Amino acid sequence: MMRLFGLLALLALALVLALSVGARPVTPAVALEALRAYDPTNPDHVTMMAIRLPRLAAGLIAGGALGIAGTVMQVMTRNPLADPGLLGVNSGAAFALLIGATVFGAADEASVALLTFPGAALASALVFVLGGGLRGDVGPVRLTLAGAALNALLLSLVTAIVLVRQDTLDMFRFWVAGSLTQAASRPLAEMALIAAAGGLFALAVAPQIEALSLGSALSRGLGTKPRRVQAAALAVVTLCTGAAVAVAGPIAFLGLMVPPLARIVAGHSLRRELVASALLGAALLLFADTLGRVVMAPSEVRAGVMTALIGGPVFLWVARRLRPGATA
Amino acid sequence: MHAPHARLSRRGFLAGAGCLLAATPLRAGGGELRFAHAYGETVLAAPATRVVSLGYTSQDSLLALGVVPLAVRYWYGDHPGGVWPWAQPLLGGAEPLLMTGEVSIETVASLAPDLIVAIGSGISEAEYALLSQIAPVLMHAPEVTTYGMPWDAELRMVARATGTEGRAEELIAGLRGRFEALRERHPDWQDRSAVCAWHSGGQTSAFLGGDSRAQFLRELGFRLPEALDGMQGDDGFYTALSPEDLSPIDADVLLWISSGGQAEDLAALAMRRTLRASAEGREVFCDALLSGALSFGSVLSMPFALDRLEPEIAAAIDGDPATVVQSAEEAGLLQ
Repeated sequence: MMRLFGLLALLALALVLALSVGARPVTPAVALEALRAYDPTNPDHVTMMAIRLPRLAAGLIAGGALGIAGTVMQVMTRNPLADPGLLGVNSGAAFALLIGATVFGAADEASVALLTFPGAALASALVFVLGGGLRGDVGPVRLTLAGAALNALLLSLVTAIVLVRQDTLDMFRFWVAGSLTQAASRPLAEMALIAAAGGLFALAVAPQIEALSLGSALSRGLGTKPRRVQAAALAVVTLCTGAAVAVAGPIAFLGLMVPPLARIVAGHSLRRELVASALLGAALLLFADTLGRVVMAPSEVRAGVMTALIGGPVFLWVARRLRPGATA
Repeated sequence: MHAPHARLSRRGFLAGAGCLLAATPLRAGGGELRFAHAYGETVLAAPATRVVSLGYTSQDSLLALGVVPLAVRYWYGDHPGGVWPWAQPLLGGAEPLLMTGEVSIETVASLAPDLIVAIGSGISEAEYALLSQIAPVLMHAPEVTTYGMPWDAELRMVARATGTEGRAEELIAGLRGRFEALRERHPDWQDRSAVCAWHSGGQTSAFLGGDSRAQFLRELGFRLPEALDGMQGDDGFYTALSPEDLSPIDADVLLWISSGGQAEDLAALAMRRTLRASAEGREVFCDALLSGALSFGSVLSMPFALDRLEPEIAAAIDGDPATVVQSAEEAGLLQ
């Protein structure tokens, strides 16, 4: 319990920094004033209400959702390298959205954003099948390879679209490395609801997922229906990843870093682990975004680039701890 | 006056007249054409006729000089053959090969050119060396950046290589005359600040002094806003701005460059509304075609841009929101 409070304190710190750090110094007094009497011609007010608050909301949604999706993926596949980014689920969602935006035009953001869900669902189902999921236990190496291959394929398809249509290049920059800079124009409220639904569903099915993670045979003995639990996990991953990509683009490595840290904090109880993952994911993404605002000011480094910079070493650390032949 | 020169020196090559060499020092012995550029020196035995255009915009210079290229490099936009409307009539019905993406050396070789114009193409020195085995290659001048060759310098270089110097001087004088007349018509524009910026993908950026769009504004008598003046920026021609501080582009005239679809993003950009330029109606929205004309910055595209921009800038610069800038209104930028 104390550790959970520690996480809440960490998230609170991330929130304060996300609201107070940036190119424009905004005092707390002015921030409150912006909340009470918003003046759209005051740059300080605009910074708070139209830039930092939407970014904060997008960071909470995407970070929390990716934390949950990563934890569910890692537990389900018993693969410490599972991550919606590395396994191609992010790029599946981004690819679907880019196709939609190219074909239908980017005019209707909210409805085009819904395309992330079939994209994420197809990609996660595909990587599960490619990784040997239908034939029983998914080995970490095989699944990671399948994910890397799918990710590469989807990214080259995205590149192909961009080469044909040069005017999609700016869209491409957003959809290859995630970012919170477009938060104000993303469907935040809708995606917050969907991510919350995904998170609650994950909490509801957590015991079954835990049982399944003991292995198909043992879990069947405990009365679990593996196919149904797999479908539920797929739904969680799809809802959470789809919502995250719709507000922040494909942010890599967050779902990889968060679960092992959450396990340290919450111990081996999946429900507590999921709560810890959501808090930790949101905090980490907000830290990454805030850091990206200051490292190369006045230009900004995308949050997705920052998480990749931190996540790359974490990936190597986790990969090196995998014993040869291990399944998890 | 350069056309007779060219003819004389070709005749001079036959006659072996040495005095002409002194008159045109770049033209070394035997009527050879020599071009110093960023990757060294290119030598042409005689003016070229079969020309491949590898620069993203060099087709305009060639077509203006009456040389229809065998192949054109695709930059962007949906225009047949990669040739934009201002240059289209000069094709005379010809259909040059459109080369998309990386330069295909084999395709270039198959066209058997006697000149490759690669000014503003961004090819590497290795690609230059390979292409040079096919035909002489023209690159940008050593003192400018890859995409920073001034329009008149490019035109003169291409003209010398194709034996069309007379036409080039006419074109340069014509466009310079237009700029001068415009400056005289608008003394109130002189030494005011103006900037070209664009917003897409959540990022606002401004073009800097070395860029063709900024050079164009300078020809009209404008200067860059102080915050951007002298900045080097990314790749030498633009700088990204923090979304929390757009004040560097708060100029007397703010031109928004777009490639299509950015009008809505701009209209939704709340920070824009805090700019004086926005509040006072000093913004001009350049649609895809006008932005293309400014981005090409060629001897053909700039007259096109001038026709469309003059009334727009005139309506913007008075700083009176009552005089509506038509393009900004159509783009939904007015409150």
